[in-house]
Amino acid sequence: MGGIHIKNRWLPYVMIAPTVILICVFKIYPIIASVIQAFLSKDGIPTFDNYKFLFADKTFWNSLKVTLKFNIIIIPVQIVISFIMALLVNAKVKGIEGFRTALYLPFCVSLTVSTVIWQMLLNINNGVMNSFLSLFGVRPIGFLIDKKWALLSIILISSWRGCAYWMMFFLAGLKGIDRSVYESAKMDGSGFFSTLFRITIPLLKNTSLFVLVANTTANFLLFAPVQIATEGGPQGSTDLLMYEAYKAAFVYSNRQRQACIVTILLVIVIGVCVIQNKFMTEKEA
Amino acid sequence: MSKKQKKAIGTILLYLVLILFVFVALFPILFCLSASLRTQEDLFQNMLPFTLRALIPTKLTFENYVIIFTQYEFWRPIMNTLIVTGLTIFFGCLINSIAGFAFTCFDFKGKKILYALVLVSFMVPFESIAIPLYDVASKLKMVDTYAGMIVPAIADGLVAFLFIQFFKDIPVALIEAARVDGASWPRIFARIIMPISVPVFVTAGLMIFMNQWNSYMWPLLVARSKEIRTIQIAISAFSGERAIKWTYIYAGSLVSAIIPICLFLPFQKYFVEGITAGSVKG
Repeated sequence: MGGIHIKNRWLPYVMIAPTVILICVFKIYPIIASVIQAFLSKDGIPTFDNYKFLFADKTFWNSLKVTLKFNIIIIPVQIVISFIMALLVNAKVKGIEGFRTALYLPFCVSLTVSTVIWQMLLNINNGVMNSFLSLFGVRPIGFLIDKKWALLSIILISSWRGCAYWMMFFLAGLKGIDRSVYESAKMDGSGFFSTLFRITIPLLKNTSLFVLVANTTANFLLFAPVQIATEGGPQGSTDLLMYEAYKAAFVYSNRQRQACIVTILLVIVIGVCVIQNKFMTEKEA
Repeated sequence: MSKKQKKAIGTILLYLVLILFVFVALFPILFCLSASLRTQEDLFQNMLPFTLRALIPTKLTFENYVIIFTQYEFWRPIMNTLIVTGLTIFFGCLINSIAGFAFTCFDFKGKKILYALVLVSFMVPFESIAIPLYDVASKLKMVDTYAGMIVPAIADGLVAFLFIQFFKDIPVALIEAARVDGASWPRIFARIIMPISVPVFVTAGLMIFMNQWNSYMWPLLVARSKEIRTIQIAISAFSGERAIKWTYIYAGSLVSAIIPICLFLPFQKYFVEGITAGSVKG
């Protein structure tokens, strides 16, 4: 760390105390408590029963399947689209600032409000989406109430806002690339796609890794759209694990089950992130 | 085809794709605006068959806004959110900047471990700790209070990190000179550090604002009662009511989105810098 490095016996501790104490109480302790609770019975005796019960439960396996399916689709979709958006608004053409601001805007609309708005846009009876599709003779689709469509609709809702957010990171990364790199590529007669794959993408490795990890974490722990729009239904088709954990704690008052699910989610997230990290760094070698 | 023509076609294609993306990004917001300015009957009757009338009001009305503010007391969740957000920004900027200053300027035992602790905390996603955090809040008697929404959000590793990044570049001579003059540390911080750090305070404040204004899961757990609930909870509860008119929901949604949008537009540079600091520099 840079800076001045002054020595003082007690002052620095006083200065960092509020932040460190609050972080310990409200961030570090809860996560440890949750992992421990997963291995304790209701009376506080160490046990593996919580996991045994959970693994014997069909709802849990369905929820795990839905969560994996959801993430396998949403993570690449969001990353590819937000990357394309960043490339587009990084172009040097007239009026690009206006386009950039417009593409940022969905991020300002909270996920809650986005869900509430899209819920009405996608409604089967009075939704504008079905009204528009009727122009082409499409029968009304129950985007959020049909088992075939609900998960895709949740993906659409989350990505509408999410892509604007992730675009900011790719754009910051693109801006960090020295323009002279592009100039020399152009001189060598490198076309758009070969510049993209040989220069831009490799140079964005750190940004991409960050977005990949942060995006994975965010999507595995997604909660609001499901809680507001579908409540896990229809027929469990959008029952993401985070929502299942919420229900365990606040609907069934089963803290052990909730602690198990959150711990499993964390293990999955850390596992996926470690694999992504390894994969991305190996490619370089 | 000449090179010039090729370039012109490329530019036109670029604009077309941009317009397509902008359409998708803005359509829900614009439709929300339009729907909030018409009556429910006007909205529903013109929905089928699909014409321009499905999108644009035949007659403008502000009735929806009047009703959500009077009958549904929408000012209450807005005030609540402003109180929660304002206090979090104040305390968050204060303690994270002081901690950031200590981490940059002082050497002390255990600094590395404590710094790592702060950094790790911003990688722990809030959702994963929300439910165990509820137990902590409940033990501290913070359930259904403003404090329950404010206190856990004050210490923020990313915000502290932002301050550290900024303070690193402050010239040493500036502080040394003040020390020679016999200025106390609180005085140095308030009179010298804070005035030159306005940009990072703006960035940090905006980040905290966006987080608190948009936060949903935590207030949903910790502040359920009608008197103190925040805007996001009010909107979601609103949309869950059966008898409610859609045009009211559209109006409420727009109200809750307009404040962050108004803050974002003039300050977008600061905000993007703040949010991406951890990914680019880190």
